[in-house]
Amino acid sequence: MSASLSLRAVDKVYHPRGRSSVHAVKALSMEVDRGEIVALLGSSGCGKTSTLRMVAGFEDVSAGEISLANRRIERLAPAARNVAMAFEGYSLYPPLTVRENIAFALKRGRLSAGEVSRRVQEVAALVEIEPILDRYPNSISGGQQQRASLARALVRDAALYVLDEPMGQLEPQLRAVLRGRLKRLLKDRAMTSIFVTHDQTEANALADRIAVMEGGMLQQFAPQHVLKERPANLYVATFIGEPPMNVFDASVVRDDGRTMFELDNGPSFGFGDNELGPEVRQAIGKRRRVVIGVRPHRVVLGNGSAETARVVSNQWLGDQSHVAMAVAGKLLVAVSHARVRAAIGESVPYGVRAQDLHIFDVDTTVALAHGARAA
Amino acid sequence: MAQIDMAQIEIRNLHKSFKDDAVLKGLSLSVDKGEIVTLFGPSGTGKTVLLRLLAGIHPQDAGTIFLRGRDATGSPPDKRGIGMAFQNFALFPHMTARDNIASALTARKTDAGEIARKVERVAQLLKIGHVLGHSPRELSNGQKQRTALARALVADPDILLLDDPLRNVDAKLRYEMRLELPALLKRVGSTVVYVTQDFKEAMALGDRVAVLLDGRIAQCDTPARIYAEPVNVGVARLFGDPTLNLIEVAPQLVDGAPEIRLGGAAIRLPASYAAAAGSPCLLGLRPEGLRLVDGPAPGAIAVDLVAVTPLNEKSVLLLTMQGGEELLASEAGDRDEPRRPGPAHVAIDPDTLLLFERESGRRFIPAENGKGGS
Repeated sequence: MSASLSLRAVDKVYHPRGRSSVHAVKALSMEVDRGEIVALLGSSGCGKTSTLRMVAGFEDVSAGEISLANRRIERLAPAARNVAMAFEGYSLYPPLTVRENIAFALKRGRLSAGEVSRRVQEVAALVEIEPILDRYPNSISGGQQQRASLARALVRDAALYVLDEPMGQLEPQLRAVLRGRLKRLLKDRAMTSIFVTHDQTEANALADRIAVMEGGMLQQFAPQHVLKERPANLYVATFIGEPPMNVFDASVVRDDGRTMFELDNGPSFGFGDNELGPEVRQAIGKRRRVVIGVRPHRVVLGNGSAETARVVSNQWLGDQSHVAMAVAGKLLVAVSHARVRAAIGESVPYGVRAQDLHIFDVDTTVALAHGARAA
Repeated sequence: MAQIDMAQIEIRNLHKSFKDDAVLKGLSLSVDKGEIVTLFGPSGTGKTVLLRLLAGIHPQDAGTIFLRGRDATGSPPDKRGIGMAFQNFALFPHMTARDNIASALTARKTDAGEIARKVERVAQLLKIGHVLGHSPRELSNGQKQRTALARALVADPDILLLDDPLRNVDAKLRYEMRLELPALLKRVGSTVVYVTQDFKEAMALGDRVAVLLDGRIAQCDTPARIYAEPVNVGVARLFGDPTLNLIEVAPQLVDGAPEIRLGGAAIRLPASYAAAAGSPCLLGLRPEGLRLVDGPAPGAIAVDLVAVTPLNEKSVLLLTMQGGEELLASEAGDRDEPRRPGPAHVAIDPDTLLLFERESGRRFIPAENGKGGS
């Protein structure tokens, strides 16, 4: 697939008056394929919104290049970029009704009135704003404005769709359905899209690939299942996934064909060489200290497991149990989709399998191995 | 008034209006000693108002609040012996976090060494030990919130009111606190009313969850029962991620057994729902109670799988039935082959099915021993 949007070594430095400058985006390079949906995900201040604003043209780049459909755009005005956008600050035009606002986005397309009306109706149905099409922006709720703004972007034919927290203000009930519909629309029409979110649920649900940012730098850019199964570093490992990955500092001890991970003030997890193969052992190398991790839903509970731990909390959320156990002075969380009957204070058997183990360098935090394979 | 044997907090028929806006309309709730009740409901339903009435910050228009068996009407906030942490932090700006927390104890003339020990301990539990020397403006919102929480907890209050104390805390820490807070509260032994807007937090933290809807407590029950046996549609739809599907149906008796038509298929309901035959109903289907099956089968509905959206360790499937009505299903676990959009069949787990009266929204309670069809 050919790249549609391409960022090369993009930097953004802010110089607030009277304060030291802020390096918000650092040497960011990434390519978005034609028809691909990409999420920029990170906590506040990670650089994701600055990146999106540079793509849309609301911010200048401090350095680097941005191309869209083989055309350099980083110096072009927003309107000249052939980008459709839904931004929080990019508000609806107050003197026009919602319908007129959405139709206005199509004006330059020289479509027949019937075609404009059909397209407005279609996108309004998708985001469920048909009943308010003839209202004015200041008479509708924040969530409705957000959907109207989204509709105005989606109705256009553009080379790129740029969406800022597209469902941030919507009720959870509507959000789940809208995500499915939006994904279907974007995929059916191969609409190349890039959106910002701080909510990994949203990123997971919509995006083909997710760019995880932190400290202005791209940490990893990969599909959701890769971020989950092969996180590039400890930041991504503990940021992606709800609840977060369990991680522990451990000493590595070799003992008679076994590799032992001895947790500080805690148990020791041992794996035979048949379980923890040469590839992983080589990745660990001569390190005496590593960080090991296991995802909560991969922790095995029940008889036959090697270790036991005291239950600190056991919470049933209707469709899953979250069991927290005291391990090495911290909490080890196990998630089960079946209801777990274990009382607080009870000792329960648990285990970690070699195939579910993630191993990280203790200093650089870079991943060394995931399951049976080196990182 | 003589002390009588009743719950630690007993609220009877409470009313409160602001101008013409009736917020609480005859609310009743009782909370036992040492119990954690999470108060949950959509925003704007009056959860914070209820806490303020309990704390004595506002007077009620009508109704009675009994605290520890005594009528608290007219008793000012500082005489109610209640610990509070509200959303707006209300920390003293000129004091360090340590002094803010300690302020709850110094007023009671506790020994200085004892105060220091207690402050350190509660700060460790709430993971703010490293910022005790900071002033409020040097704290993040999450740290301010935990400082306010620490101040409320340090005095071991026997009644504690918490207004969404984890709201501004980042997701990871919020999750940790969700696991640890119940044990912490139990150790203090307080009777707790905890306001939250997050259903998972409500279920995880509460011994019981009180659902506030339309000015009253619609249901106060254990988390498991609230989820599995909601009293009405309003309660049911507040829980679950995604929330339950609601579909208009009209059960009929076919060969003596209740049955509905759904997406062109005839679905047999459990016999215990026989009494619902002939009434307009809403069928409530939890997404995790819907299962894709291979090919047509009795009771399976032909659907179009529109989109697959991953949700943590689950996948959410958007399905449309004949006629275009949408259903959300969710499935746990990893699949070797990701599901692709296209025709599919879905079956309903009868144990998770809920049925409501369409008019009133009340849930049909399935009849006991109602297995007449067998």
